[in-house]
Amino acid sequence: MTAVSTRSERAVSPSGPAPGIQPRRRLRDSLTHPRGTGIVLVLPAVIFVTVFVLVPLVVAVYISLTDFPLIGSYRFIGLTNYISALTDPAFGHALLYTLIYTAIVTLPILVLGYVLAVLVRRRRRGSTLLRTLLFIPYVVGLTTLSFFLVLEAQPGSGAVNIVLRALGITDGQTAWLVSGPLATGLICTLVVWAVSGLTMVLLMSGMQGIPSDVYESAAMDGATWWQAERRITIPMLRRTIILSLIISVIGSFLAFNQFFILTAGGPGTATTTAVLHIYNKAFVQLQLGAASAESILLIIVTGLITAVQFWLLRERDSGKGALR
Amino acid sequence: MEISRRRLLGLAGAGAAATIAGVLSGCSSTLPEPNVAAADFGSRARGTVTVWTRSATQTGMQGIVDRFHKAQSDIRIQLTPVLDAQYVTKLATAIRGGEVPDLVDMDDINSSLFIYRDTFTELTDLVNDLPYRDKLSPGHLALASLGDRVFGVPFLADNSLLWLNTELFDKAGVDPDEATQSIESLREALPRLTSAKDGIYAWSFPGNGQGALGFTFLPHIWAQKADVFHGKIGSQTGYVTENEPLRQTLEFFRDMWTQKCAPPSCFSDAATHWGSDFLAGKIAIFPGNYAAVVSAAPKSMLPKLKPVVIPGPGGGRCFFDGGDNLCMPRGAKNPSAAWEFAKFTLEIAQQQSMPTGGYTPIRSDANTASFQKQYPLDTTPLQNLDLGYAPQSLAYNVAINQADGPFLAMFRRAVFDGDVDGALETAQTGFDRLLKEVQA
Repeated sequence: MTAVSTRSERAVSPSGPAPGIQPRRRLRDSLTHPRGTGIVLVLPAVIFVTVFVLVPLVVAVYISLTDFPLIGSYRFIGLTNYISALTDPAFGHALLYTLIYTAIVTLPILVLGYVLAVLVRRRRRGSTLLRTLLFIPYVVGLTTLSFFLVLEAQPGSGAVNIVLRALGITDGQTAWLVSGPLATGLICTLVVWAVSGLTMVLLMSGMQGIPSDVYESAAMDGATWWQAERRITIPMLRRTIILSLIISVIGSFLAFNQFFILTAGGPGTATTTAVLHIYNKAFVQLQLGAASAESILLIIVTGLITAVQFWLLRERDSGKGALR
Repeated sequence: MEISRRRLLGLAGAGAAATIAGVLSGCSSTLPEPNVAAADFGSRARGTVTVWTRSATQTGMQGIVDRFHKAQSDIRIQLTPVLDAQYVTKLATAIRGGEVPDLVDMDDINSSLFIYRDTFTELTDLVNDLPYRDKLSPGHLALASLGDRVFGVPFLADNSLLWLNTELFDKAGVDPDEATQSIESLREALPRLTSAKDGIYAWSFPGNGQGALGFTFLPHIWAQKADVFHGKIGSQTGYVTENEPLRQTLEFFRDMWTQKCAPPSCFSDAATHWGSDFLAGKIAIFPGNYAAVVSAAPKSMLPKLKPVVIPGPGGGRCFFDGGDNLCMPRGAKNPSAAWEFAKFTLEIAQQQSMPTGGYTPIRSDANTASFQKQYPLDTTPLQNLDLGYAPQSLAYNVAINQADGPFLAMFRRAVFDGDVDGALETAQTGFDRLLKEVQA
């Protein structure tokens, strides 16, 4: 270990240092590695995090306190951008819309992902092919799928309308992308289909980690399939489910590509998400200062939502109050 | 090696502070202005000139670059096409980064934004010295100016006009000239020009394509000397709720929609197939540009076409003085060669070749007898240069050209939902808010 080790601190004799020996020096010694090895090992990560995470974050905080435009000079304006963001109805609407969108897609992604994981968790003939097919939408990505959907949602000529007309549900002339509710419904459907593959893989891995003898014992006790799922699988998947939920919620809260491509936030601002609003503020209105302030607020909101998720999903029976 | 945790954190902090200081010091946006007053500026220059062109008019610029390369060998043009939707952002980023092209061929409507931020080189004296200065499109020049100071030159025109299919007018027994005198005369003619059972409609508009819609809708209002932006650039407010020509034009489009004088596809048309219904012979009046109509039309259709300048609600006429300006960013590395190329693009021979790319010359003296004979459908704007207009505003891009801007929302709510008053009130708030933000 190295100078930053805490193990060496614990290795200090409870009786205290021997006379004539520098205690601080002993704290930094390691029994197995030369001094500084740990520093050298963590240095690349420290540099990486500093340059690509900490510095941009600090710069963003600084810029958020200025009226920094993409072109032109700037000056320090204190918290004005934050006050403007908090009183801007457009930003409030974008945050609210993002929350609603997140609320709509989160549960279907989890449920569909779970159902798909149940379908493919057993190692039997064809299961690998099925897993691949179900995971392909996630691999293809929301960006590509969104471009496809721009064409397939066209009134009259798009596949979505052709299928719905063939089924007798609509007249095939529905303009999906120029109505806020319709566009939201279509995008939610796309996202649930595309992203549930990731949840499937995560949950399937968790399911395959549950020892089979647990199920065998339950079967000997007469447990039905549903009872086994409810009493064994779901409780033992708790942490994986929490991980899936957190990934899904953060991803939904930061949604951008599908909205940018399919509706550009329109009609009006009906489908403008928080990130899309910030993007427009920065790169269309060219107001980096205001956009940085909104980004910082979004980071805080996302952090709060994640914290609430941790709190709601904590292991109450452990009495520790936190995910371990 | 002995580094304490405190020292490690201290070093990391110092590194971060140094990096931040470096990042922020690199954010200075004022680049040095080229010395355009030098005696031999714009002549006998050599080297490479980097030029950005927007994708919508790339064809026009590429043709001129090819001609320039043929005409001389001292200067080479390195042309970079940039998507229209990303042009402002990319140019602003380049300026912020201090790595600018020598010349930008940009949508003239966006010139004001950069000029106001003092990022372009002042070319007043150079432009005034041009022997054909008074022949240049005044609308383009206005967008390249701030007061009396000029920061660019017009390059090509892309104007909006009403394109008439005279065959459909004849079939309906409607006189094209009388019907297009004003919005009121159009209102009377539209039902007669519509024959839904034959799939013929009087008018077509991209109801979900804010850029093309602004290009063709706003001239109706400008024809009445009104605008949606009010005041001097930098301190403008929206002029919406009290704007009577705007209200009348929205009501005209609303009536057109409810009377089914426009095809149902207008509801969702984002201008992705702009003009295709007109070119199929199904539309009597198409508000559009030369490229979408003449460049794309089959030869057999050309004799049936007639362009007219867009009328206002109570008369008056106007067309969108769109197209491109050439501007030289501060910090240009080869400004002299860039100006030499800019002058080349303005020569009559180059300007008269514009229709081959789907555009219109920006010099009134390009409208010669031979030009009229060769391009009879591209002379209307040249004969009416004084009717061209485009607003000088820092908010045109955000208010009109964006899908989530107040203009498209206003249009859709008024025309498709029928709530003209509500649309105007909401738009007023939207325009004011955006103007306040971009002018801050």
